[in-house]
Amino acid sequence: MTSQVIEGGAPSRGRAFLASFLKNILPAVPLLLIVGFFFLFPIARLIYVSFLSNDNTFTIDNFKTAVQEPYRTGFINSIKIGVFSAAIAAFPGALAAYFIETRGSSKLRRTIAVMSGVLANTGGVPLAFMFYAALGIQGYLTKALKYLGWDLYSGTFSLGSFIGLLIVYLYFQLPLMIIVFSPAIVSLRREWSEAARNLGASQFNYWIRIGIPLLFPSFIASFLLLFASGFSAYATANALTVGNLPLTPLQIGGLLDGNVSAAQLNLGKALGVVMIVISACAVIPYLAIQRRSAKWQKR
Amino acid sequence: MAKALRIKFQPPLAITLLILGFFVFLPMLSAFEYSIRTPLTGGYGWTHYIWAVTEEDFLHYILRSMWLAGVTVLITLFVLVPTMTWLHLSNSKVRGLIDGLSLLPLVIPVVAFAVGAQISFPEFVQNTVLELPFLYFVLALPYAYRSLDIGLNSIPLKTITEAARSAGANWLRTITSVIIPVIRGSVMATIALTFALSLGEYTLTVLLHWDTFPTWVTYVAQDNILGAIAISMMSLIIPFLILTVITLFVPERSMQGRK
Repeated sequence: MTSQVIEGGAPSRGRAFLASFLKNILPAVPLLLIVGFFFLFPIARLIYVSFLSNDNTFTIDNFKTAVQEPYRTGFINSIKIGVFSAAIAAFPGALAAYFIETRGSSKLRRTIAVMSGVLANTGGVPLAFMFYAALGIQGYLTKALKYLGWDLYSGTFSLGSFIGLLIVYLYFQLPLMIIVFSPAIVSLRREWSEAARNLGASQFNYWIRIGIPLLFPSFIASFLLLFASGFSAYATANALTVGNLPLTPLQIGGLLDGNVSAAQLNLGKALGVVMIVISACAVIPYLAIQRRSAKWQKR
Repeated sequence: MAKALRIKFQPPLAITLLILGFFVFLPMLSAFEYSIRTPLTGGYGWTHYIWAVTEEDFLHYILRSMWLAGVTVLITLFVLVPTMTWLHLSNSKVRGLIDGLSLLPLVIPVVAFAVGAQISFPEFVQNTVLELPFLYFVLALPYAYRSLDIGLNSIPLKTITEAARSAGANWLRTITSVIIPVIRGSVMATIALTFALSLGEYTLTVLLHWDTFPTWVTYVAQDNILGAIAISMMSLIIPFLILTVITLFVPERSMQGRK
């Protein structure tokens, strides 16, 4: 009796599983396959290989080398340029987003959204050209400033130096800030400021007690995303520097192109893994804050 | 509506736009001025643009970049859009998983992703340029996913689907001729974004040793700098025009629906 029940139960449970698989998972399979093969697999392999020595035995030497000179300076510079470019762009970008979203017409807002989308993605040689033309030795702004009595190139300034690169990075960081911070502004409801005013709050009180506390998490989140963007930017740094400024993405690119010290074939992979860890430290909190504020931002 | 009545001069907005405009357009216009210089005659002209456009490689690379971006858009349309529609309709357990996976590319710096791609794919994948659209798709996934998510959340999806189903449409037809037209605003935004990102992708492409329009500029710069500046200007203007055209063609109504 009992064995019959079990025998009868097994195939139907199998069929039930199949049916639920067909219904619940099958339609997602193409997407999962693409993401799995073209994204998860390379990342998993990168992490795995970063722990291999030249003769494919397990080692952590790649990581030991990755935190020594010259790679240590590379990381410090990359983190510095990420932090500074984010810090400089965050507040003006937030303010611009505020004025555009609260006072701009719908047409203006849409135009700025499109432009920010394009500008946040500029980089590499085209961006380098634009800044050579404006701030290079023969650039227009350079000449104008010289005429006004400020010779940019009297000291050590160049577009390939840390300060130079920082200025150029702002060109895509500012639009990026406008893109990521605007949704938070849009979701500030006018009723709230009106309610506060009805209860006797001044404009200042409203901002200190309601506006800023509401926007602050999104501001921090945007800052973190900007950091990740500046930290991992490759194309622009590659176009502007000539090996004078060590940055991790450039060092990885160099190792990938075969300028490799044969001592450690998998050093570039370890540098990549460290980059992922640093970037994750910024992007994961960004995503967490976004998810939290998405709750009240829904209308 | 109250806003429409208040269109008057806004000093803070004007100052903001002035500063932003200065920062954005000064480098752009400076480079543009270089690109229309004609050093031989000392005046201005379109010499470098004409040179670039008539260059044999120009057409080759721009067409290549366009079709690669086109394939990326097709992957988005034929894989991402149906999958997401289905995810929103069913209460599948994989929705949480795909939610998380779609955001993951934001965490990975492109340089690290390029290294991983170079050491992982079998030869037959690495030997075809068709690997690029799939990689571009991954890079665009966080943005495409979010934009479609907003679109799907803003419509009464269940009601629409039930109506289509009870009128006799099968699932495929429901998705292609009912749901996609309803969310065309966010589908168009997703296409624009995916297309622009694929068209301009540089880091991954160059590190995997492929040549596309954005990487070609680097080679040109080695022997004709003014020509390269002209090409750079075009590479800025082309995505801008494509995006503007697409957003302008998106009907106003579906844009409002997104809010």
